Amino acid sequence: MVEANILVGALFQGFVLGLIYALIALGFNIIYRVSKSINFAHPALILLVGYVALVVSRQNGIAAGLIISLAVAALAGLVLEKSLAKPLIGKPPVALIGATLGAFYVIRGVTFIVGRFEAAALPLQSTYYSLGLLKVSTNDLVSMAVTGAGLLGLILLHNKTRIGSAIRAVAEDAEGAAGYGLPVSRLMTLSWILAGLTGALGGLALSLKAQVNPYLDFYAIKAFAASILAGLDSIGGVVLGGLALGLVEQLASIVLEPYLPGIGGHIAFFFLLLILLVKPYGLFGTERIERI
Amino acid sequence: MPAGVFKETYGEEIAIFRYPIHYAGAALGLLFALMLPILVGPYYMLLAVSFLIFLVGTVGLNITVGLAGLISLAHAALMGMGAYVTAFLAEKGVNILVAIPVAGLSAAALAFILALPSFRLKGYYLAMASLAAQFIIEYIFALIDPDQYVPIPDEAKYLGGIYLGRGLPLYYTTLAITIVSILTAVNLGRSILGRAMKAVRDNDVAAEVVGINVYYVKAIAFTIGGFYAGLAGGLYALYSSGIGWEGFTLEGSIEYLGMVLIGGPGRIVWGSFLGVLLVRTGWTLLESTLADLIVSYVAAALKYLILGGMIAGFIIFEPEGLIAVLRRFKEYLRLWPYSY
Repeated sequence: MVEANILVGALFQGFVLGLIYALIALGFNIIYRVSKSINFAHPALILLVGYVALVVSRQNGIAAGLIISLAVAALAGLVLEKSLAKPLIGKPPVALIGATLGAFYVIRGVTFIVGRFEAAALPLQSTYYSLGLLKVSTNDLVSMAVTGAGLLGLILLHNKTRIGSAIRAVAEDAEGAAGYGLPVSRLMTLSWILAGLTGALGGLALSLKAQVNPYLDFYAIKAFAASILAGLDSIGGVVLGGLALGLVEQLASIVLEPYLPGIGGHIAFFFLLLILLVKPYGLFGTERIERI
Repeated sequence: MPAGVFKETYGEEIAIFRYPIHYAGAALGLLFALMLPILVGPYYMLLAVSFLIFLVGTVGLNITVGLAGLISLAHAALMGMGAYVTAFLAEKGVNILVAIPVAGLSAAALAFILALPSFRLKGYYLAMASLAAQFIIEYIFALIDPDQYVPIPDEAKYLGGIYLGRGLPLYYTTLAITIVSILTAVNLGRSILGRAMKAVRDNDVAAEVVGINVYYVKAIAFTIGGFYAGLAGGLYALYSSGIGWEGFTLEGSIEYLGMVLIGGPGRIVWGSFLGVLLVRTGWTLLESTLADLIVSYVAAALKYLILGGMIAGFIIFEPEGLIAVLRRFKEYLRLWPYSY
């Protein structure tokens, strides 16, 4: 049987990663709600944020790195909305999927020119503490705080504020919302910027957790599974989806690793296919009544 | 259209050769394809072989994406399936010309299994399902082939004493298989199945109302795309002395999708032709020039920038792809010097 301290450590790591997955998945869901399509550029945004934070913080300190990477992500969200989502309103969702895939590559290209494919940790000192069976690093705690605050803030913004209810109205029925005098187009832009910021927080937390490396976007692609499990148009559900994904991943890498090497990194995709087969609208998503 | 050619039956309207220029074009094209080894050197002939291989794969994806309107992100994985099946059969002593169709069929079977989620789901969910499938298949490749190298035994590549894996025999074998598969694809587009796919792409509810089995058509479109991917994989195994899965990753799938979307989705032959020519062959040629000019990491990043920018740009400004640009240019020339 597995030793207790390994199990506790894995569960904790799953929890921390799960929160990050949840935050990244939230970015997918925010976009899906307003634009009814999946934003494949989101994973590249995570990568971009990591590298911008790395490059800037090397020269100007970690605080400047954080602020500039957040600003870059918000700007990227704005540019994506203006250049892709807006011209493609009214086109089939497949068009926006293809266009964001293109943007995925463009942002990757920019990132690799900025970051030169290197792998390095953010310049932030990390110390380890022992709590009984558990070893905790300050980086874990910081990324937990960042993701927790980000998730809480966005869910509150979405559910409790006037702006949040306006965004919900646009997501529900854009034409109806326009009829009530809501600035639909500005709210859509705001949603894309919010998604960019969400991605930035997730990306920063991820770079603390797993170093900045050219494969950061892979984590974000895995976060699709969390997004689908929650239901693509659910906001609060992503917390549960992300945590489920993080824990499944860690448990799989403990239990199945001896039989299938490397399964921990890929179990998310089996999970994703399974959800799509069994419950495609997710746990909290609205089931649309259409048969095709 | 040239005056003087009139169509009296529906059959004439949908024939492959509708105008005299089509006969002339086909004859010249065939002649050019057959003469190519004489016209160019061995390096460009190998480039042409790789062009043909990816043309077969892209034609398949163009059926899935262009005709049926389904986004598939698992095409490179399906091609890999074909390549690995060919390698496995060749290892067992099966002749490669037998192994290649079997590779196509096995990739089609895999694609059918992957299409099962799309029975219930709309387009963007299929994109997710195929993305997941791409990573799962990549993972399985990594399990069965950890060294990224499976040799293709030369003994399997003989036909009547002629070695097919090199030079002229390689080119002509690939050309023959490509022509057969392209003709099949053209006829598919004109058949009842092809029209059903277009109907599903344009309006799935209306398609169901007129009695088309939407689930069935979607699954078949994905399966046929998989068959062509498998064929391309088999040809790839014929072309190379050994295969590794680094060519069958998500990047390969996105490149395939880019070739379809840039060339012209829905225009199975010419759209795919232009897409492969521009994206695959064009990049290969550009890369060798760039390699001397700029630093390697910029060159690697530049590929993402150019390909991604072109995909997004074409979707926004010219959703019908490069072929529509050419058609407009042709119309302009035809009407010149008048504007209409």
